[in-house]
Amino acid sequence: MIDTFFGNGTLDTPAAFLASLLIGIAFGVALEKAGFGSSRRIAGIFYLRDMTVHKVMFTAVVVAMLGICYAKAFGLVTGENVYFLPTNYAAQIMGGLIFGAGFVMSGWCPGTGAVGLASGKVDALVFLFGAIGGSMLYNEVYPILDPITTGDQGVIFAFDSMGVSEAGFAFFLTLIAVGCFWGAEYIEKKRHGKGDLWGTPFLKAFSVVLVLGAFGLFAVAGQQPVSTSVASKASPETAYLEDLQAGLDHMDPQELADRLLAGDPSITLVDIRTPREFAQFHIRSALNIQVSDLPTLLSPHKNQGLIVLYSNGMTHPAQARDSLFRLGYGNVYFLTDGLKGFLNACLKPISLRLEPVSSVLAFKINAWRAFFLAPETPASDPKIISNSSTAVDISNLTIPGLVETDWLNMNLGKSDVKIIDLHAQSEYNSGHIPG
Amino acid sequence: MNPYYAGVLLGVTLLLSYLILGAGLGASSGVARVGAYMELSVAPARTLATEYFGSWGEQPLQYYLVFMLVGVFFGGLISALLANRCHVRIERGVKCSSKKRLIFALAGGILAGFASRLASGCTSGQGLAGSAVLVTGSLLFLICIFVSGYSIAWFVRRQWDD
Repeated sequence: MIDTFFGNGTLDTPAAFLASLLIGIAFGVALEKAGFGSSRRIAGIFYLRDMTVHKVMFTAVVVAMLGICYAKAFGLVTGENVYFLPTNYAAQIMGGLIFGAGFVMSGWCPGTGAVGLASGKVDALVFLFGAIGGSMLYNEVYPILDPITTGDQGVIFAFDSMGVSEAGFAFFLTLIAVGCFWGAEYIEKKRHGKGDLWGTPFLKAFSVVLVLGAFGLFAVAGQQPVSTSVASKASPETAYLEDLQAGLDHMDPQELADRLLAGDPSITLVDIRTPREFAQFHIRSALNIQVSDLPTLLSPHKNQGLIVLYSNGMTHPAQARDSLFRLGYGNVYFLTDGLKGFLNACLKPISLRLEPVSSVLAFKINAWRAFFLAPETPASDPKIISNSSTAVDISNLTIPGLVETDWLNMNLGKSDVKIIDLHAQSEYNSGHIPG
Repeated sequence: MNPYYAGVLLGVTLLLSYLILGAGLGASSGVARVGAYMELSVAPARTLATEYFGSWGEQPLQYYLVFMLVGVFFGGLISALLANRCHVRIERGVKCSSKKRLIFALAGGILAGFASRLASGCTSGQGLAGSAVLVTGSLLFLICIFVSGYSIAWFVRRQWDD
């Protein structure tokens, strides 16, 4: 397996920045050489005037895809050392539709816009300012888009979605690409009366090379010995996906809270956020492990009891679970709706809830609050002992676990009183208790 | 350059990005982080309090895709200068005014910037990089770009000579 920057968690180091800069330069050269320093040429694709965009994009996708498929087959690339983008159907379909409109209106996209700017195109500069503005706009409306952005499905591959083998799908996509090349050349020939490459020995040879390259994937995939590789584990993979569909991959906040409260020893709770966030607040009894260290540090718990991962949201735990599954972990779960969901579902005071709460749930909420909001080791904290006369120790409040406004006023500003605002960020911004 | 050669060059660059960085190419994240940086320099407290830009911290430019975007600019510059294709101008159809063309470029930019955040990527990060590793959402994103682009093309054709 290759030691990638992502794989060893060093994507934020100067070495990775330098590598990114160099790869960016190659990226810029390729785009410029393809003719993408011209918006008129890029937009030509939408008027069937100039099919360069299809030819370049499809070639690049197929070349990189074949390269990665071979790299996977030889074990150089796995889900551990490469970052795969998660799928979110609603966000990506809506994003694609809006992006397409922006693309055809401006004739640019962010990458080609940078190349256009380098080529002296004023419209590219204006486009980039627009794109910066569009990103700022997104930041402003982000809280409203919550229902869309949280609909993350984790990493899904098209061949799994369609229930075919990876090699089969790659071969199919290569055939489509080659078909598109010939179609694109034909369209240009019809439009301009000249097809530079239609029927040339070059296009024939290029097509044959790509198809043979894709065909070779079957041979490589077939040779793969029965190992821990994903491709060869058809039945566990299917079972895994079935679990995913049935929602057996995650644990509800209430269930987790109940089990932790009951002291269930089988649960290993893991917080995969940064140590800083962990230090600010974490669910009681959680361990703090960074994603890259999960395989090493969780190995004692492999298929022993239940491992529950959580972060602020669900994306990273879901990706981590996926990755651990590939390493043979069959006992990893993640917390539904993440830490945010846990705070909302279990620890939000009853008085702040919009929906009515049954008496059973109310009792539970108070018990959870008393358990999870209490300091983990009260006796070892000298401040709490010294202030115990003013009844600051929250664990003394226990049920009902709610504090009176007067008490809060009295104790505001004391360093050992933590006020946790459970509202959404937007509500928090518009008004919260100081501290 | 023969577009297929350019495509192979682009594909090999993308492959190297996966093999060296462990992540694909990307451009829109860099653009968005420049936006976050601009907001931070004007209103730091407000920006840090927002949920999206705030999550990038106080140094949004310390990110590999920002460096990649800088690389794209310089790569484009080197290639354009060598090929003598670097000229300051507004690209448009002869019958279209510069102002109209720039309004289209700005509006398109706003839509593309917004959409690339919504979809967590643009033609580079999702369209190329995600599609090359056969991620379902990325392939759908790419299809949607072209579905939408072809349906809207006719309405904005006047800025070119089409």
